[in-house]
Amino acid sequence: MKKNVYKEARLAKKIPALIFLLLFISIPFFTSPDEPLCKQIANYTMDVKLDTEQKLIKATEFLSWTNDTDISTQVLWFHLYWNAFQNNMSTFLTEGARRGRSVPGFKKDDWGFCRVNSIKVIQNPYFDDYDLFPLMEFRHPDDLNIFDQTVFSVKLAQPVEPGQTILLSIEFESKIPRPISRTGVYRDYYFIAQWFPKIGVFEDGEWNCHQYHSSSEYYADYGTYDVKITLPSSFIVGATGEHREKIDNTDGTTSHYFFQQSVHDFAWTASPSFLEYKEDFEFAPGKTTEITLLLQPYHKHLKERYMNAVKNAIKYCSLFYGDYPYTTSTCVDPAYNSRSGGMEYPTFFTGGAYFLTWKGMSRPEGVTIHEFGHGYFYGLVGSNEFENPWMDEGFTSFLDTEVYYAAYGEPLYNRMYFGIPVTFKKVKIPIESDGIASHRRTYNMDDMQRFAWKFMEGGSYGANSYAKAELMLRTLKRFMGEELFAKMIKDYSQRHWFKHPRPKDFYAVVSEYAEQDMSWFLDQLVYGSGKLDYAIGSIRSQRERKPRGWFDGEYRERAENTSNNTLYRSEVTVRRLGEVKIPVDMLIVFEDGMEVKETWDGMYRWEKFTYTHTSRIKEAIIDPEFKLVLDLNRTNNSMKRKPNTLAPLKWVSNWMLWLQHALEFFTILGG
Amino acid sequence: MKVFMNFAKGFINTGKTTRMVLLLFVVNLFFSIILALPMYHSLKDSFGSSKVGDRMAEGFDYLWWQEFRDESQGLERTFSPSILGKGAILNNLEGLIQMRFFRLPLPVLIMGLLYIILHTFLAGGILFTFNQDTLKFKMKKFFNGSGTYFFRFLLLLLISSVILFTLVAILDYGFNLIMDNVQKDSLSEITPFYYNLGFSMIIFFLLLFFQMVFDYARIKIVLEDRRDVLKTVFQAFGFVFRRPFSTLGLYYLIFLIQVAITIGYIFLKESIPQSDWPFVLVAFFIQQLFIFLIIWLRCLLYSSQMELYRYLK
Repeated sequence: MKKNVYKEARLAKKIPALIFLLLFISIPFFTSPDEPLCKQIANYTMDVKLDTEQKLIKATEFLSWTNDTDISTQVLWFHLYWNAFQNNMSTFLTEGARRGRSVPGFKKDDWGFCRVNSIKVIQNPYFDDYDLFPLMEFRHPDDLNIFDQTVFSVKLAQPVEPGQTILLSIEFESKIPRPISRTGVYRDYYFIAQWFPKIGVFEDGEWNCHQYHSSSEYYADYGTYDVKITLPSSFIVGATGEHREKIDNTDGTTSHYFFQQSVHDFAWTASPSFLEYKEDFEFAPGKTTEITLLLQPYHKHLKERYMNAVKNAIKYCSLFYGDYPYTTSTCVDPAYNSRSGGMEYPTFFTGGAYFLTWKGMSRPEGVTIHEFGHGYFYGLVGSNEFENPWMDEGFTSFLDTEVYYAAYGEPLYNRMYFGIPVTFKKVKIPIESDGIASHRRTYNMDDMQRFAWKFMEGGSYGANSYAKAELMLRTLKRFMGEELFAKMIKDYSQRHWFKHPRPKDFYAVVSEYAEQDMSWFLDQLVYGSGKLDYAIGSIRSQRERKPRGWFDGEYRERAENTSNNTLYRSEVTVRRLGEVKIPVDMLIVFEDGMEVKETWDGMYRWEKFTYTHTSRIKEAIIDPEFKLVLDLNRTNNSMKRKPNTLAPLKWVSNWMLWLQHALEFFTILGG
Repeated sequence: MKVFMNFAKGFINTGKTTRMVLLLFVVNLFFSIILALPMYHSLKDSFGSSKVGDRMAEGFDYLWWQEFRDESQGLERTFSPSILGKGAILNNLEGLIQMRFFRLPLPVLIMGLLYIILHTFLAGGILFTFNQDTLKFKMKKFFNGSGTYFFRFLLLLLISSVILFTLVAILDYGFNLIMDNVQKDSLSEITPFYYNLGFSMIIFFLLLFFQMVFDYARIKIVLEDRRDVLKTVFQAFGFVFRRPFSTLGLYYLIFLIQVAITIGYIFLKESIPQSDWPFVLVAFFIQQLFIFLIIWLRCLLYSSQMELYRYLK
């Protein structure tokens, strides 16, 4: 009897868990009227409470994870990204300090962390939960830094077999840091990203779960996020996914329910100061998404610019890379000093604006388009940002300039004077300039394909992951032809939605469309650090020599020169000054207007092209259609026999005015 | 009324000494050409025989400039799209107020220092000329005047430099301390923006104020043949503080004229396409006219201030 009572009591205790379990399992299948867009591998249901006094998050996380590989695993690996901010010895801050990112004046309450209080396997509600907490072990797969606690693993009693799903209940609390990078609390503005225990990616029989590095971003599996956030009612909240419900509680708090399938992360923001704007936007016939803009009050005048930028981003990205598949897109204007600007999360991103901006300037549009664009090559195409940063950042940089120029045209050069931006209408910034300067400075430091934290310096990480990859794609676009490239990149994007492509996958799609193995092209740029620089070495045009002297026993005198029969022997020397070899076009223009087009394979260091024609060469241009955007020196790509004399005089006279004025003006310093 | 009356007198006097202004203009042009020649060759070498030359003749080739900037050293570093029109003026204003001119390449700094010293030398000649009964510009007398007052003016230059740089350094230090807190406490970028702008304006008007005070010190030295330079400086301060409306009124009247001329120049310059020889020549002529007018205004300032000093004394 006693035993039965005990059993009943245990069962009664388990009923809520059983109900939860049933609900939880059914979430991906019944909660949304739509079918998920992909396999839901890592599904999170979270109940989150924000304590604004303590700057603390207390949460319960229910995770269902499916082993989607052919290999079983008895270990689970997790990220605890916020532990990067718990002391100055974490890998993130150690690397950051080397790159000049410090945490001056941090007090006890400024540090942030994520602490797991319990982690239980929900095997069967009739039996005791299997608590993994004592088996938690911090791991340091990248640098053996024992102070770093951004990755942990737990050993299971039984392996998770291929196709099997494991259910976990995790209790955790996260202390919200003062903003160091991307996340934190600043006054009443909360930007909460990478904040919960997040399972790594199990692939090829091992866990892909890197520590949090100063210059790396993220990698995760797709799934469903069903998140309840409870916080003071005065707060306006934005987050990944649909804001499905809002319930006011009796204690002055409000619970917000967010839900999103087929994403690999969840971030949110809250502030009582936000101005919230919502608009439904039909970006293609019959295809609509709801745009939410959370704006800082002092940027109210930028509402239309932000909103239009999001619309342009959705419209053009859908056109270029496939229709935007989610029903929401939330753009957050980050608070001043919050260090959360310019970041991307699924269906949710931060822009960045300065209160003074004029027509022709690319802010806030540029960053808005860029961060939305990440929704494609980080969000939909699940590139591994730890290991192949260029496959997200580079593709997105390419995307943002393509979209920006399609929507707005060439931006104007501008400079800040005393905090006031001044535009120069006569100086437009061509698309080819994007990224070339940083690539020029660092091209030989690293290969483009490196793990994010293994670049020589931050500048090289940026230049290779963002700039060089963008330039490579633009070069590829012009090399393959715009139409073919457009099909290829759209197909690459859509084919890898909700997958984790690697460089070889990109190679395969490029080669498929180019109908040849394109490794010869891509290898030089992806796995090489050579320079691309073609140049016209020299051009010469001389009168053709007439035969004179003894020829087969016959003596010939110099022939009479008549204007009709004068022939010129012209010679163009082209040079390859860098290591990268890509076939290149040439255009030779003669003084009588005749044009000759050539193609040079660029294999040897130089080549000479000779012509005999009735007029002299006027100019020679290598790569006349500017296909090779990666070319580090564009000026030496052409040569004229008669230099332009106006240009240097024009510009030196402009420069001289500056100098004359400076000399006169600075006499003020003489008192 | 005093201001306008003495401004008018100064205007007439300066009008009578246009040859002197021309001399000062030639000095400015000469100094500039010394540095313009290597810059011309740098530009010519960079894009002279390339198609870029054609594009630069038509407009501005941003891609070329990126390359040029990335490879440039020394003097070449000063070449940027912001030297166009208003940019040239704003660059200098910023360079002066935020003391960024220290970052200018050495040749420009050396040339600037020499020019200031030469300006100190020539200031004696200018004031000496305006102090003549007959306002006829004579080269010999001009240089006599320049030589007579040079060492006293040079001492003034040293005193003003020490005072100015010390003051600016103290203000800058204090401002940075304030800004650290302002940036921490601000809810938006707008507050720090106004602080920055306010600080820049304080520095600018301080510079102008010191220029004016030292102008009166120079005038006192010439009119009263003062030898005690330091005492003269104090007296010049006293003079300005006793008659702030007249002295500042006159100064800012001429300052506003200079602002108006500068805006007019910017408008005119930016409306010229400069894509052909005639337009380039027209633009060059307008530029030189602008510089000439700026120098003319400097002489007008000396002349008017001298008249005002005489009047108030």
